[in-house]
Amino acid sequence: MRHQGFTLLALTLVAIGCGAPEPGDAPAVAPATHDAKLSVYVVNYPLAYFAERIGGDLVDVDFPAPPDGDPAFWVPDADRVAAYQGADLILLNGAGYAGWVDRVTLPPSRLVNTSMSFKDRYVVSEDAVVHSHGPEGEHDHGDTAFTTWLDPTLAIEHAAAIRDAFAAARPEHEAVFAGGFESLKTDLLELDASLEQVTAGQAQTPVLGSHPVYQYLSRRYELNLRSVHFEPDEDPDAKGWQALDEILSEHPARWMLWEAEPLATTAEKLEGRGVASVVFDPCGNVPEEGDFLTVMQRNLSNLERFLAGP
Amino acid sequence: MRQTLYLAARYLAFHRIKTAILITSITLILYLPVGLRVLVAQSSERLTARAMATPLIVGAKGSPLELVLNSLYFGSDVPEKMRYAESIRIADSGLALAIPMYTRFHSQGHPIVGTGFEYFRFRGLQVESGRQIAMLGECVLGSRVAATLGVGPGDSVVSSPENVFDLAGVYPLKMHVVGILAYSDSPDDDAIFVDLKTAWVIEGLGHGHQDLSAPEAASTVLSREGGKVTANASVVQYTEITPQNIDSFHFHGDLSGNPVTAVIAVPPDQKASAILQGRYQGEGEKAQIAHPVTVMDELLDTILTVQSFVVAGAIVVGAATLASAALVFMLSLRLRRREIETLFKIGGSRRAVGTVMVSEIVAVLLAGVILAAGLTFLTSQFGSVVIRALIRM
Repeated sequence: MRHQGFTLLALTLVAIGCGAPEPGDAPAVAPATHDAKLSVYVVNYPLAYFAERIGGDLVDVDFPAPPDGDPAFWVPDADRVAAYQGADLILLNGAGYAGWVDRVTLPPSRLVNTSMSFKDRYVVSEDAVVHSHGPEGEHDHGDTAFTTWLDPTLAIEHAAAIRDAFAAARPEHEAVFAGGFESLKTDLLELDASLEQVTAGQAQTPVLGSHPVYQYLSRRYELNLRSVHFEPDEDPDAKGWQALDEILSEHPARWMLWEAEPLATTAEKLEGRGVASVVFDPCGNVPEEGDFLTVMQRNLSNLERFLAGP
Repeated sequence: MRQTLYLAARYLAFHRIKTAILITSITLILYLPVGLRVLVAQSSERLTARAMATPLIVGAKGSPLELVLNSLYFGSDVPEKMRYAESIRIADSGLALAIPMYTRFHSQGHPIVGTGFEYFRFRGLQVESGRQIAMLGECVLGSRVAATLGVGPGDSVVSSPENVFDLAGVYPLKMHVVGILAYSDSPDDDAIFVDLKTAWVIEGLGHGHQDLSAPEAASTVLSREGGKVTANASVVQYTEITPQNIDSFHFHGDLSGNPVTAVIAVPPDQKASAILQGRYQGEGEKAQIAHPVTVMDELLDTILTVQSFVVAGAIVVGAATLASAALVFMLSLRLRRREIETLFKIGGSRRAVGTVMVSEIVAVLLAGVILAAGLTFLTSQFGSVVIRALIRM
């Protein structure tokens, strides 16, 4: 009886000793359950589309911005931020898109800036209003253009970053993500080739943008583009038309790119100035019909129709 | 045997004061060194538990002890600041999860810990009431802070100014309490947690103010050249971040240059840990990497050295006490000579009489051992609680 007691005590002590953590053992942050789909939150629709094409059934993509606004200026409430906090990956556009990201608490290890690979090729807007404090120095806020996906070659880089992030989170499915990426890349390259063909020969032709959102498109296809601040659902005021006339006097554009169909009255007034309206939807939010590629195909068709001419 | 034990028990009961003194002395000389070791072991375990749960800490070059104590326990002096770029560097290396911390500020004596979202997962901190921080200007409180200040979700706390004469420097920021953390029996219970960027706002590195391009702000504009507006010193900066003004909050310059006091690095395995530690061994390195367990072990070695002296002293005293007890027994045997003779005369054998004497000694020793064991058990269960309560008093 006494021997059994001692044996039990000894075994207990050994068990306690074996269970004690070794110094320096890193407590792992709980690993993700790899059987579950990868939870992905995004800040705009193009990233959602790319993520779904690349991840397929292996990912759950959430884009919580309301469907009727511009996600670039949407600010989530605390509940939405909490939803982002719970995601496995948060895909950011970069280039200053979704400024709210800087004012909320998100886990940095799960943030993926999908435009980091071309950070040195961001377009900085020359029209930005910047401010500084005190006379001694300037702190340039310099608005950076953020509709990076309108350049299909940059869209491919966005997609590549998404593929890499997915593969890092779920290495066992790397081949699937690679396959999804290649399929998307093929489509984007076809789009790029088509746009290049359509816009060939337009390098010196003055073009107008209704909004400063076409910088990457114009850079890619060497469009001579200048922008105003017209909304498609509003008739510009007198100041707006005056600004346009000033631009036209030195930049005699024949067509203006619009994010959506402009008001008939606005289109008429533009026609009166010899400027046609061509809809090129940046597709920052979920389209009412189709998907990102079908919207881009429609944009391509609109350009083709106009540039083919009567 | 029963008869001898009966005689021994009756003798001890008759001389109860002497018996009580002997038992108390033996209890104390057994309990003091053992109890002290148990208490010190428990305290060491508590101190090292948090260190063991923290693989590596990166900070500016200086005292590793100050870095570790401030990062783990939010006590000690605030270590030298380093750039947030160091946290980005660690994260980008892929060798560890980087959790930055900035512990410069306080609110009514409680440390404000500016950190990242991962800190809470890393420490296993759950929100008991309210919610987690989501926006700039929000905070969650440790359970003891909430109880001490009597605040809960929906209330607010204000950061304490560092220097009442430094009006242009760090100024108080009113922070909204959105949640209370569950009790974790750790220094986290005594801290106020904010997003790292909120801590930078307290420092004055980020701020919000009215739109300088608006006509109402004309009096705050020093100069305007095209799209570049220069503000004068009269521009009013917000001291509270609200849903109405949060969009105006911004940081000037590159965030990577902003300060942090430490970065907790959580490598996925020993290999990554070794590589990461190796990267900080270069002579030109401006940062240091500390292994909290090693640092705390060195600190505890010093404390344990003191303990060793105390234990050695207790053993010496104990030996003297035992010698005194032996003397008391021997003297009592002399004084009981007639009693012993009587036992022999009424038929007691030498063995029986000897057994009575030995039984008395064993009973006293056994009582002392049992009481010492009981006190040691109580110490192991409640000792650390009593010490913590005494410290807080």
